[in-house]
Amino acid sequence: MPDNHNGRREQWGSRWGLILAMAGNAIGLGNFLRFPVQAAQNGGGAFMIPYFVSFILLGLPLMWIEWGVGRYGGSLGHGTSPAIFDALWKSRVAKYVGILGVFLPLVVLVYYIYVCSWTLAFSVFSALGSYPVVEAGSGAVSTASYLAPYRAYLNDYIGASSGGAFFTPLPIAYFFFIVTLVMGMAILGKGVAKGIEVLNKIAIPALFVMAAVLFIRVLSMNSPVDSNVTAATGLAFLWEPDMSGLLNPKVWLSAAGQVFFTLSLGMGAIITYASYVKHSDDIALAGLAAASFNEFAEVVFGSTIALVSAVIFFGPQGASVIAGDGAFSLGFISMPAIFTHIGYGGFYGFIWFLLLFFAGITSVVALAQPAIAFFEDELGWTRRRSVITLAIFFFIAAHLPMLVTGALDELDFWAATLGLVILALFEVIIFFWIFGAEKAWEEIACGGRIRIPRVFFYIMKYVTPLFLFVILVAWGYDQLPGVLSKSGVGVWLGRAFLLALLGAHIYAVKVAWKRRRNRRVTEDMQ
Amino acid sequence: MSDAGWLFLVVSWGAVAILVLYSIYKVFASSE
Repeated sequence: MPDNHNGRREQWGSRWGLILAMAGNAIGLGNFLRFPVQAAQNGGGAFMIPYFVSFILLGLPLMWIEWGVGRYGGSLGHGTSPAIFDALWKSRVAKYVGILGVFLPLVVLVYYIYVCSWTLAFSVFSALGSYPVVEAGSGAVSTASYLAPYRAYLNDYIGASSGGAFFTPLPIAYFFFIVTLVMGMAILGKGVAKGIEVLNKIAIPALFVMAAVLFIRVLSMNSPVDSNVTAATGLAFLWEPDMSGLLNPKVWLSAAGQVFFTLSLGMGAIITYASYVKHSDDIALAGLAAASFNEFAEVVFGSTIALVSAVIFFGPQGASVIAGDGAFSLGFISMPAIFTHIGYGGFYGFIWFLLLFFAGITSVVALAQPAIAFFEDELGWTRRRSVITLAIFFFIAAHLPMLVTGALDELDFWAATLGLVILALFEVIIFFWIFGAEKAWEEIACGGRIRIPRVFFYIMKYVTPLFLFVILVAWGYDQLPGVLSKSGVGVWLGRAFLLALLGAHIYAVKVAWKRRRNRRVTEDMQ
Repeated sequence: MSDAGWLFLVVSWGAVAILVLYSIYKVFASSE
């Protein structure tokens, strides 16, 4: 029977379990791969000030709002935004708007589980020492040619070497995908306290220890080609202040976007996790603690490990080229190339990719939980049925980004770039403007072990929605024409998949609300 | 790196470190 039968839902086993789970939800591949790439592409020091301002005006307020929305929903027996929005906003469309809180994390997971499986595979490859070795400093090789064997290694693994419309991944890639999927679903099958909480209590402390080991190793590295290039050169790449970023709208948008990604905002996952908190329990301090852990992982470890080591090995110019190629280039090509040239490189490579795997798998379970909660809370399914259904869905759907070129980018844009800003904007408007600002503020403050400064009330009410609106318009204006003009098999299959999945969500909501009405009629008759 | 760069780095890392320590302290303090 589902855990929410007779009005009883699952709850977190401990406050630290909740905080670590929320931190695990936030700390993902983005902290260690996306953040350094975004920082490098946006001028390093020029990026950091808008980043911190966005964290205060957008990240923290939105995070508290999501915690408040989620805990309020949990007190009513609901863990996902269709039902919670319906409770906050007495409108027939509320539940359909709320679909985004289940739809978006599912779309992201369709490719995220596969990418997460690469990290598990590469940690094993590092431990086995199966990478190609190119002699550092042998001749005047360019960064691109030096990295070529490592790029070929990744391309062979995912089957991108031929450059056609379809990928042909190695069987071992398929094997690690299945292993990752089964692991994630097995954890979800054990439930919130015994599965997700236990995972995060192990994975997050282990992740911090591994990150600290790599952090110290990177800061003590020597350049194999230029003795003038040190860790300080790498740190200067990111931390040399540059006030010009304050006047550049593109830098602000990138910084705000990164804050969104890093805190897993607008994904529905925080709402669902917070729904398992007792209504009288604190969320103000727990939310701040989870965000703090995430920021430490990102600003200290994420800014240093991959980027500083790239500067030490390839120089500032080379590191710029690598970061310009994107997160996969930095994490899966540059890092193995570096680790094959340092002492105990196999060990450091192993913990680098294991760290990424822990960051990824904790986010996988967080992003899958909204769908599980919807099945349990709104359709009355058992956890076992919910998890098996989800596992079958992911197994089938993941073949799209795994096999078809361009599908991953298409899903990523609609869900992880545009969709999450739309959901976040609805969250703020529904909670603070429709449900009521004072009531919303009381909800967030209720049970708080710290007092959130009143200035955040005004930020949440006015600044955050305005900021979100500006981001939405600017991204739409900047990126939508380019995305809509794209074509190709992967693009169109991706769009067809998104529409079909959205249709399935609308149908599921209709079924859930019909079930609700029937239950109400039955109760009235009794 | 310039002095301003080191200052920026120390202030930024220090701020997030203090935030983490403050959170941990408050969570433990409120558990008692």
